[in-house]
Order: sequence, then C-alpha cells, then structure tokens
Amino acid sequence: MPEYDLRPMPRIPRVRSVEGMITAEGLTKRYGDKTAVEGATFTVQTGKVTGFLGPNGAGKSTTMRMIVGLDAPTAGTVAIDGRPYRSFHAPLTEVGALLDAKAVHTGRSARDHLRVMAATHGIPRSRVDEVIELAGLTSVARKRAGKFSLGMGQRLGIASALLGDPHTLILDEPVNGLDPEGVRWVRGFVRALADEGRTVLLSSHLMSEMSLTADHVIVLGRGRVLADAPIDRLVQDWTQRGVTIASPRLSELAALLQGPEVTVTPSPDGSARVVGLGAPAIGDIAAAHGIALHALTETTGSLEDAYMALTADAVEYTSKELS
Amino acid sequence: MTLPTAPQDVAPATTRAAARPTTSPYRLSAVRLIRAEFLKLFTLRSTWWSLAITLLLTVGMAVLIGAASEGRIDPVTAAVLPIQFTMLLAGILGAIAVSGEYSTGMIRSTLTAEPRRGAVLASKSLAVAVTVFVATLVTFVLAAVLVAATTGAAIAWDDPEASVLPLLAAATSMAVFALLGVGFGFALRGGAAAIASTVGVLFVLPIVMQIVGAVATAWTWVGDLARFLPMNAAQSFILPGGAIDQGPAALTLAAWVAALLVAGWLVLRSRDA
Repeated sequence: MPEYDLRPMPRIPRVRSVEGMITAEGLTKRYGDKTAVEGATFTVQTGKVTGFLGPNGAGKSTTMRMIVGLDAPTAGTVAIDGRPYRSFHAPLTEVGALLDAKAVHTGRSARDHLRVMAATHGIPRSRVDEVIELAGLTSVARKRAGKFSLGMGQRLGIASALLGDPHTLILDEPVNGLDPEGVRWVRGFVRALADEGRTVLLSSHLMSEMSLTADHVIVLGRGRVLADAPIDRLVQDWTQRGVTIASPRLSELAALLQGPEVTVTPSPDGSARVVGLGAPAIGDIAAAHGIALHALTETTGSLEDAYMALTADAVEYTSKELS
Repeated sequence: MTLPTAPQDVAPATTRAAARPTTSPYRLSAVRLIRAEFLKLFTLRSTWWSLAITLLLTVGMAVLIGAASEGRIDPVTAAVLPIQFTMLLAGILGAIAVSGEYSTGMIRSTLTAEPRRGAVLASKSLAVAVTVFVATLVTFVLAAVLVAATTGAAIAWDDPEASVLPLLAAATSMAVFALLGVGFGFALRGGAAAIASTVGVLFVLPIVMQIVGAVATAWTWVGDLARFLPMNAAQSFILPGGAIDQGPAALTLAAWVAALLVAGWLVLRSRDA
C-alpha cells in the first residue's frame, strides 16, 4: 500500500515581487567643466546590501542625489523599478534616503522634523514614535536638531529614511559619527531589510565595515564605475593570494622556492610571504629538504587591498606624505 | 550625557513590512502637503516671533497714533497705518520660510518627500499666505478695537467700506508681502540675498523713487511708476482715495506675487537642490 504524506504542503515563503531595483544607464553629471559622474551604468539588486565605494570626490554622493531627483543628470538616466523618482506618488514608501546629516532644519525638534515628513504622506504619528524609538532618539526627540551631535544627526537621518517603510534604502555614509553600538545597529537593520527582499545601497569609507555588511560592491573612481561585483569575487580578482611562512632556515627555503613565477618577500617580523605557490607545494618542498616549518598560512587579501588596487589610479586627493 | 542605544532588533520594521498590503495607504496629496507646510511654519520659533512682533508693533503704533491724533483719526485707519513698517516683518517671514530650508539643508528632505517641485512651491506659498493673513487680520482688528477703546472713536462696522474691507485688504496685503518674500527665497535661496531683495522692493525702492521723482521733476514717469510698487499699490488697495483705484491696485499686487512666484518656480524647477 502506497504511503501518502498527509502532512500539509510546506508553505512556500511568499517572495516579494521585484521592487526597488535601481538601474543607472550612462549616468553623467557635469558641473561646468568638472565631471562628477561619467557614464555610470550599474544595477543595484533587491535583497542585497550593495556597497558604494570610492575615494572622496568619486561621485558617490552625486549619484545618490541623482537617484532621488535632487540633481538632474547631464546625460543618462537613473530609475527605480524602471520609473524615475519624480514619478512616484508616495516617494517615502519607495525610497528612504539618508544623503547627509544636514537635511534637517536646525530650528526644529527631531520629533517635529519627522512629523513634518510624515504629514506629507499621511503617515500616522504612531509610526513617527516607532522610528524615534527604533533609532534610539526617544530621550532627545524634543530637542532642537541644531543642537544634535553628529551621531544623533545620523540617527535622525536614518529615522527619517525609515519613516515610510521603504522598499529601497539609500544611505550615504550612515555610520559616520556613530558610536560602536550605533554601527552594529546600522549593520543589523541593513542586513535585516535586505533579507526581507529590499534594496539597500550604502556608501562607506570604512572598508572593514563594508566587508562585514555588503554582499555586492560598486566601486567608483573619478566618476566612473571601476568594478561592480560580489564582494568575494572582487577580493579574489583584485588581491593576490599568498602564503606566509616561517622557518629557522628561512633563507635556505626561500632560495629553494624562488622561481620565475614565484616571489618570496621577507617581512620584518622574520616571516616571509610567498606568492605564486600554494601551501601544499611549499610544505612538500620543505619536507623534501628536511627543513622545519614553523608557520604555513594561506592569506587572502582584504576588501581594502582590492579597493586600493582598483582605485590606485583614481585617487584624486592622494594624501601627501609628511616629511 | 549618555547616548541612548538603538535597539538591536528591528522587529517593528520587519513585521510592518510583512503585514503591509501592496498598496500602501501612505501617499502624497495636496491636502497633506499643505498640512505639512503649515506644520513647518508652526514648529519654528521664528514664525511665532515674527507674528508676535508684528502684533505688538501694530497695536502699539496704532494706539499711539490714536492718542496723538486726540481721537480725530478713524480707528481702522490707525490700525492699518503701521503696515509701512510691519510689511517688512511679513516679507522677511516669507523669505526665511524658504531660505531657512536652503541654509539648513532641509530643502533636500522636502524635495525627496515631494519631488514635484511646483507642488512644494504652491503648498508653501499657500501656507505662508494663509498664516500671515489670519494672524495679521486678528492683529488689525485688535488694533482697531483698542484704538477705538482708548480714543472713544467708534468703528463704523455698519459700513463695510470703512471697516471690514480695509481690515481684510490690509491682511491680504501682508500676505502679498510675505509671498514676495517666498518668491525671492526660491529665486535667490540665500537668506541674506532674499531678505535684502524683499526689503529693497518693499521699503527702499519707494523711497528711492520718491527722491528721484522729487528731484527729476521732468521725469513724471518715475512718479507714475512708483504708484505700482507693492507698498504704494497696497496703500491704494487698503483705503480708497489712493494714487490708483482699488481694482487696479489689487491687480498690481496680484501681478507682483505672480511675477515673483514664477521667478522662484523657474529657478526651483531647473536647479539642483
């Protein structure tokens, strides 16, 4: 007798329809003869946290402002789900934007600022209180925004962005000025929102932060898109894998490993970094010659290494070495 | 001061998103936009200060004028005379309602909430005009009543042309001055430039043209033209028997408002925020 599985069918989780995807095509912005963004073409996917990386002046903020229609592109288009921002009838429920901490009237309290924003869309007061609590602003909600610290201003900006419970979040340097707790909080909610299927685009100068938060990165340099890839692929493609070795007979071993494709670079701490040979090969060579190994560690590059390699030519404001 | 800690879990946002129907009840509407602009005005101290100073100046000067005339002046006339000074407060209130948004960066929040810029200009203009109209109407009525009470002269309430209409026209003129400020605010953005231009058109230009008209007697057109400056047109509009009739005066004021709001709109719609 055949066995029937009488348990109810597993509920298929309802997948949100594709919403909030940002597409830029040939996006260009010039101010006089200065080009801020040049032919940027990219897609910010839903359900992912996309990091926007680039040196100062690379065009990140300008691009973000163009997405929400504050700046008009000189050429090209940018749309959310194929529609320009200006066509939305409920923009705050489509896109939540934190562009910079300075988008709040300094004479108005945090709560009044959020009430004003909410009033434009008929968002109820309960939601205003909710985002105040969510952003940890309860104790300062009645204080005038002009007296806020940078971190508090950021929290207010984030509260403002979350007000309409938007499908897409655009956050320009959201962790700037936040305390470690705040940084963790941003990382947490950004992750949670992406996991719900929303689109998150955030810029940050903090590479370690970005590698913890983002799934995908778009690297801008001098207004152009230098890379648009998942974070691990970017690291793989733009950094060198190497092996760190240590041995009491290091110079002897180094001579054995050296070859046309292999470089051995000694480190000040007495170890050496080998590029071009895998750990097993190094181990085998050492064993064959009876050389003891004290360390044999595969090292991959970081997002920062990849970013540096990518933007080496694009850094406009290279820091001057202090002599 | 200890910073409050944002909660780690984001349950409220999460559950809301899941429960929300595909069509959100939250959306823009003209009424909501206008309500937001009123809320903006009422949540700034500068608005209350401007209106309070306008009230104090108007009542104080009107009562003084009444006392100085020893009751020979009509209370309604005494109440509307201080406009020569308080018009600046109305104009500045309008100018900073806009320039304050640019100087603080608030304009970026405003324009992301409502990307249709014409709607932003229209709703802000309406909120400023109505607020100034209502506040100054109360002010003028109060001033007239106090002048009547202190001088013993009666207000001719049974003759609208000598009581209600001038008071309404005076409040309308104040709203017009505020709108000129709004127009300059959108056109010039900077607080100093917007306030200077508003004061220039309302206060300085009439004086300059008066001086030029007095010196250059051959240029009669200067005097003719001066009658159409906002302040002079408002005087003709409020009390009958002015340099021009009340109808043309009203049209002149409307044209000033239209010109400046269109100028502001042209800048607002084309420039990056």
